[in-house]
Amino acid sequence: MTEPLNPSAAIVVRSLCKSYGNLMALDDFNLEVERGSIFGLLGPNGAGKTTLIRILTTLMRQSSGEVFIEGLDPASQGLEIRRLIGVVSQENSLDRYITARENLELHARLHGMDARVYRQRIDELLELMGLTGRQHDPSDTFSGGMQRRLVVARALIHQPRVLFLDEPTTGLDPQSRRAVWDYITSIAGSMTIFLTTHYLEEAEQLCDRIAIMDHGRLIALGSTRELKESLVGGTVYQIEFGEEVERYAGLLRGMACVREMAVTGRTVCVELESWECLSEVVSALNGAPVRRISIKERTLEEVFINLTGKGVRE
Amino acid sequence: MILHGSFAIWRRDMLVLRRSILSELVAVLAYPLTIYLAFGVGMQGYIGLVEGVPYSLFIAPGLITMTAVNAAYNESVWSLWFHRRVQFTIESYRVTPITVSEIVLAKILSGFTHGLVKGLVVGLVIFSLTPFRFPLEHLASYLLFLVPGSALFSCAGVICGTVMDKPETIGKVEAVFIMPLIFMSGLFFPLSSYPAAVIPWVRALPTTALFEGARLALVAGSFQYGYLLQVTVTALVVFVAAVWIFRRKLSE
Repeated sequence: MTEPLNPSAAIVVRSLCKSYGNLMALDDFNLEVERGSIFGLLGPNGAGKTTLIRILTTLMRQSSGEVFIEGLDPASQGLEIRRLIGVVSQENSLDRYITARENLELHARLHGMDARVYRQRIDELLELMGLTGRQHDPSDTFSGGMQRRLVVARALIHQPRVLFLDEPTTGLDPQSRRAVWDYITSIAGSMTIFLTTHYLEEAEQLCDRIAIMDHGRLIALGSTRELKESLVGGTVYQIEFGEEVERYAGLLRGMACVREMAVTGRTVCVELESWECLSEVVSALNGAPVRRISIKERTLEEVFINLTGKGVRE
Repeated sequence: MILHGSFAIWRRDMLVLRRSILSELVAVLAYPLTIYLAFGVGMQGYIGLVEGVPYSLFIAPGLITMTAVNAAYNESVWSLWFHRRVQFTIESYRVTPITVSEIVLAKILSGFTHGLVKGLVVGLVIFSLTPFRFPLEHLASYLLFLVPGSALFSCAGVICGTVMDKPETIGKVEAVFIMPLIFMSGLFFPLSSYPAAVIPWVRALPTTALFEGARLALVAGSFQYGYLLQVTVTALVVFVAAVWIFRRKLSE
């Protein structure tokens, strides 16, 4: 019997599989995204992110499994789902032969919006995105950041309940990226946001929960803190010496509780078996010219690399 | 099927056409007028009468029809290819609450409108610059051929723009399939020039029905229902095929 849907979930994915011939792009994938949250999906190239987002946005059918967007099934309720979602795709899909405003008007009409309603909404969005002054210019005269903002505005024209952002800041300069982040943060809570990105900092900054996938499977899920805490390995400390770094590095290297060690300039980075080993290390360094001992924060990137490996994907 | 999506996309295409109409028309007029001058005027003295009319008048209706169907085909094929492969706008349409059939219908309508507008403009120019004349009451019959003819070529363009991913393939199809079909259909010479054994095959071509039917309607006021039925049925079949192929391609 089919399990009832979680009423607070905007997106539910159950045992989702998608294959292209012999290639399994999604393999028994399960996921739930809470309504009103910002959810980040990470994964190396070819992990299956794009396939998943294409299925969620009704652009592709799954081979097996179930998907529900706001309780609706894409297989039979695609039109209804597309009324509720906004999509910012990886590609810049703006129409370069018409102006920024005309791009927005076209999509408002495709959503069946009334002209009186969409004219006002377009004015608001152009103002919000800082594009009012350029609204009558063709979109191909815009900078990359402006084009991206226009694509986001286009996805929001009909006030969607779920917004899919597929690598929304790829190729943007830091200022434009920050502007997109600020906007995403400003609308947080008013709609569910499903974000894929290669920028781990972006996921860390924006997302309430993050999923990491690889080879079509979900391999980790949680908040940034939970993912960092789940990282296998001991505690890492950075010890900065005033002098004789090599001598003290040698001393540390010989200690049983030191699992890994790296020397950078005057700083020795040691991974200890556990935090209890720190007192042993401090005793061993008694009298040494230690300037600073600090705990090294695990980064999401370390979690990501740890889970998906260092190898470059094609 | 609610057609607000088709209308929105068609409206966008007409906006782009309106903005570029002058440059479009210069290009559209150049080709048939060059042919008219080279063949209709230049060769007139050598060819004399064809089926009882001067050669320049024999080819004029065909040139107008050719302009219309070529414009319909080109608009559909290149627009669809460009929006699908380069600009990704088809993808952006597909995440809005419209059906795939509405998208393909919009592109067919746009191609059809391009064909009709450009064909009529070329007709007007030929009418005003050359001695080619026809009774105005024949125009309605002629348009009855031009409408399904443009729709047929627009649907063919949608199919090519859907299945072909490389622009050079589109050019090759035009060179080895579309243009020969048009040229073999009695545009430049009467069908009686073909060997007797070939004539039934050439008559079976929908393009022959279109060009012959359109010319007879415009010049002689003779309305060939069989030809019109052939063009219309073919247009309907190709329309169904275009929608099916487009849906199938996008579901890949």
